[in-house]
Amino acid sequence: MTKDRNRGITRSKWFLPSFSLALGLVILAVAWLGGHPGEGVFGLAGLTVFGLIFLLAGRSETIRGLRGDGRDERFAQIDLRATAVTGLTLLVALIVAWLVAIARSQNGRPYDWLLAIGGLSYLLAVVWFRWRG
Amino acid sequence: MKNAVRDMRMRKNLAQGQLAKAMGVSRQTINSIENERYTPSLPLALALARYFGVTVEEMFDDQGS
Repeated sequence: MTKDRNRGITRSKWFLPSFSLALGLVILAVAWLGGHPGEGVFGLAGLTVFGLIFLLAGRSETIRGLRGDGRDERFAQIDLRATAVTGLTLLVALIVAWLVAIARSQNGRPYDWLLAIGGLSYLLAVVWFRWRG
Repeated sequence: MKNAVRDMRMRKNLAQGQLAKAMGVSRQTINSIENERYTPSLPLALALARYFGVTVEEMFDDQGS
């Protein structure tokens, strides 16, 4: 029941634009606290434009798939593959950054921590999905 | 996977969009199935076969893929 309701929320065409706006507001608040309100306004403006594009460009099936309201089983598979490619890209970037840091006689932080979190998350996910069948 | 989705759709004089709406998927998904770029899930394959009143084996040919 809860799962279905959550799926309904993420499949609404308002979810991604609302999320973008909320994230923009969080960035503004954090930047303001950090003493860089200009960067926060820039971030909010960028994410608001991003959200508006996704809200208004509803004719494209790709946009509707990304937004969630036009998502079907094929797009879910595309999303899964794209997520895997993104994860792999991040992993390679982190390994390279960690190696560069070590070669420069630095301690490799925070790349080593991020790699450890990534590796642990992967192992836990494998165990979880294997257990779930 | 080789399939007869396009033939059966044409026989029923349906547009890809109409079949997509009946199946609850996007028009692009029907197009990808017809062009053998996407193999549908078992529930969608069953729904397609049921919709056209044929068996899954009559609609999809895993030997010819």
